[in-house]
Amino acid sequence: MSGRILVFACFVAALAGGFRPAAAVTPTTAVVHGMHPIAGDKPVPGKWLPPGSFDPDGGPSSVVFPPQKITLRFNHKKHVKEAGATCATCHGKAKTSKVADDDLLPAGTTCDACHDTDHTDLKAVKGGSDEMGQCAFCHLGYRASAPNRVAALELPKPNMRFNHKAHLDRNIQCGHCHGSVDELELATRDQLPRMKGCFNCHNMSGAAQGQAKSACNVCHLTEPDGRMKVLFSTGELKPPRWLMNAQHTPDFIERHKRVAADNSALCASCHTERYCTDCHDGKIRPRSVHPNDWISMHPIAARQDNPRCTSCHQEQQFCLTCHQRVGVTMSGPNVSGNQFHPAGFVGTPLTARGPGHHAWEAQRNLNACVSCHTERDCAICHASTRRGGLSVNPHPGGFQRDCGSQFRRNGRPCLVCHELTSPELMSCR
Amino acid sequence: MNSTSAGQVYSFRSPWGAPIIQRSRFLQTLALGVYHLEGGEPVPGGPEIAVKLRLRLDSDAGIAPEETTYSATADTFVPGLSATPVDLMYGYVEGRNLLKGWLGFRLGRQYTANSLGWWAFDGGLVRITTPVYFQIEAYGGLEERGGLPLSTPRFERNGVWRGDRSAFEDRIYPQFQPAYIAPAYGAALESTGVTWIHGRLDYRKVFNQGNVFTGMFPDPVTGAYEFYQGRRTSSERIGYAFDATAASLGGLKGGLVYDLFNGYFSTYYGQLDWYAARRLTVGADYEYFRPTFDGDSIFNFFTHNPMTTITGRLDWDVSDQVDLALGGGVRSFVTDGDPNSFVSTEPNARSQVKQTDILGNVAGRYRYENGLFGLRGLFERGDRGHRQGGDLYGERYWMGGRWTGAARVSLFDWEDKLRPDRSATSFAYVLGGGFRASPIAQAMLEWEHDMNRIVGQRFRILALLNLTVTK
Repeated sequence: MSGRILVFACFVAALAGGFRPAAAVTPTTAVVHGMHPIAGDKPVPGKWLPPGSFDPDGGPSSVVFPPQKITLRFNHKKHVKEAGATCATCHGKAKTSKVADDDLLPAGTTCDACHDTDHTDLKAVKGGSDEMGQCAFCHLGYRASAPNRVAALELPKPNMRFNHKAHLDRNIQCGHCHGSVDELELATRDQLPRMKGCFNCHNMSGAAQGQAKSACNVCHLTEPDGRMKVLFSTGELKPPRWLMNAQHTPDFIERHKRVAADNSALCASCHTERYCTDCHDGKIRPRSVHPNDWISMHPIAARQDNPRCTSCHQEQQFCLTCHQRVGVTMSGPNVSGNQFHPAGFVGTPLTARGPGHHAWEAQRNLNACVSCHTERDCAICHASTRRGGLSVNPHPGGFQRDCGSQFRRNGRPCLVCHELTSPELMSCR
Repeated sequence: MNSTSAGQVYSFRSPWGAPIIQRSRFLQTLALGVYHLEGGEPVPGGPEIAVKLRLRLDSDAGIAPEETTYSATADTFVPGLSATPVDLMYGYVEGRNLLKGWLGFRLGRQYTANSLGWWAFDGGLVRITTPVYFQIEAYGGLEERGGLPLSTPRFERNGVWRGDRSAFEDRIYPQFQPAYIAPAYGAALESTGVTWIHGRLDYRKVFNQGNVFTGMFPDPVTGAYEFYQGRRTSSERIGYAFDATAASLGGLKGGLVYDLFNGYFSTYYGQLDWYAARRLTVGADYEYFRPTFDGDSIFNFFTHNPMTTITGRLDWDVSDQVDLALGGGVRSFVTDGDPNSFVSTEPNARSQVKQTDILGNVAGRYRYENGLFGLRGLFERGDRGHRQGGDLYGERYWMGGRWTGAARVSLFDWEDKLRPDRSATSFAYVLGGGFRASPIAQAMLEWEHDMNRIVGQRFRILALLNLTVTK
């Protein structure tokens, strides 16, 4: 047996080896700086990533921050630690920027002071005399054969609101959101803020003083009705799992009620009432809830309480009306005399309760009974003889301990089966 | 402004073959939303005043006149059935973040969703949000009830067959109770602001009013029916739900509902999630559920035991495009005595016995640039039979969503041990297509075909037109 396992393990290992890409042949050239966050494309330590990053980290939301194409090489660490630059040296526009759409990259002329270049006229940029002044020093893919043409930098606008000025005015510095860019060479999307990091401050009650409120629309774009905009060309925004445990997994329909029960305002951040009513008060069968030939399948689903009918249906109205129309009722129209339940389902006071008796179904899941039967059906046997029944006691053991309280709050159901002056009610009262 | 027009044609029949119900349904909704009535440029988190309403007509041309009008000679009258019900789903004016964020309100027909469930009422709601991480909510009005103008019975407590019985005599269907307005009020205390912990405490009381039949049978001497009058409890419940999350560890959810009228918990539940890896969540769920009903209903007196459900779960985000979920567990039903061997007629000799169903769930999605594929499957097997099967479905968009195609295939097998003749293996497919003629109009058409031993072939056609105008 163990030999077979060994052979199987070898087979799996061989397969795995087969699928592994061939090792890349790395040229033994000198390291080129500014191409990656850390030379050699090593992973960025978590401590240098923006606050709120996970370990391991998957980067910022690709829906909010669409993928970029960076066609420049740049060494932030060298500029800050060796050249004495600060963030504001190149990104000074951030101090006055109030919207996330603002372009906060430096103009080429910012580079001219040190790089001996001249970007004044972008139609005729002049290179410098030394290596640092050559176009190809910064612009990736630059070809001398195609002068004054560089690859476009693609930095799509973020799908969010952000006011740099408001944050800087409150002394919330660049690193609070972007991490330790000064330790890195190339700054990539990975240095853009993480939503979890925003919550380091944005955890303030609605009426709190200050602006760091936690409402979604403080940062997220909104529809005209105030809900969050969730559909973008880059994808669909969905809550992360750490946000109130509301990750919209493929089986979220099984658990969404717990999120709504606790914080329906969170749901309403993105969903309209119509979204809920389509299922919970719907008139068109949602196939994600009721698949296949649901009309034929639903009796056993109702008995198994999966899904729970009462989540969306008022049984004595929605269910009963249909059951009456097709004659699946005991005392309604269209009653044909056909027996729906198996033999022995209804006994008499004189017969022993057997395995097929209806009491077991009522005890297992009473809601299944209520979807077809009105209280008159039950009263035929369970009402007292003076009320037209057969005095078959349906109450569970210990019922009389608390029934007085129910009687005082609403005596009506007691009177369906008992007379006001009956000994049973007198003892309750 | 938004409107939805939907036509559906299908039929179903009695388990005994007749009658056959032909349904030719037409749904029309009309919605209006007016936002930012406060004037000025909208400010995120700033004051907002809006008006929203949605009207709905749900007609069925397949309903025969004799089904909705009582006749002494016909036996097809269904109390409460209407061929063209119209309801106001919601219609309210809402204010948010008023008085520097302290005040919010709603006035009109509105939904609430909280630990006590989903509910609708006509009335007012006031919310005071404090700077110290909690808010208070109070509301009052009339519960939305069937049988009243522009209302549906969807939001009433279960257990009472209620509606407009003004058109027929007492002796006709005394179990069908007359509808009256139902005063209600409630309050809530909720945490606010922080995102890693949240809780909400709810209380609500609803009253029944007016005359209601008590005896289901006429007095043998006078032949008259007896009524009960006066204000009485319909429901009185208190509920709590909470959530706590540690972003790199996991989350905890829980909740409960205590039914003050019946004097016991109608439900409590817990959910524990462990973020086992960046793309993997392992969870466990527990739920206790005991049916409760309207205070007017005798069904509260038949409720014996709860059912409990324990499940385990695994959610795996394979990639940004693919995610999977697997779950399974048990659901226990409790009876006073063993249903399979009980022979005694002595009520006090019963001991509680559990019957257990085994549950399983699988779900998955693959989303790509112009569409998605999905899978849903379930498995449930127990003393009363089994259900097992699943759906494979897909959607594809062309020309930036102008054209949509959708398909679904479904295979299910079920066994009903109480009605073995209703057991079947069923195959179904659905084909659909949509066309967005302009930014304001989208039309869809869908064809469903079910095949199984019970119905042979069943067909359903659905046509849908959505119009939305935004200004």
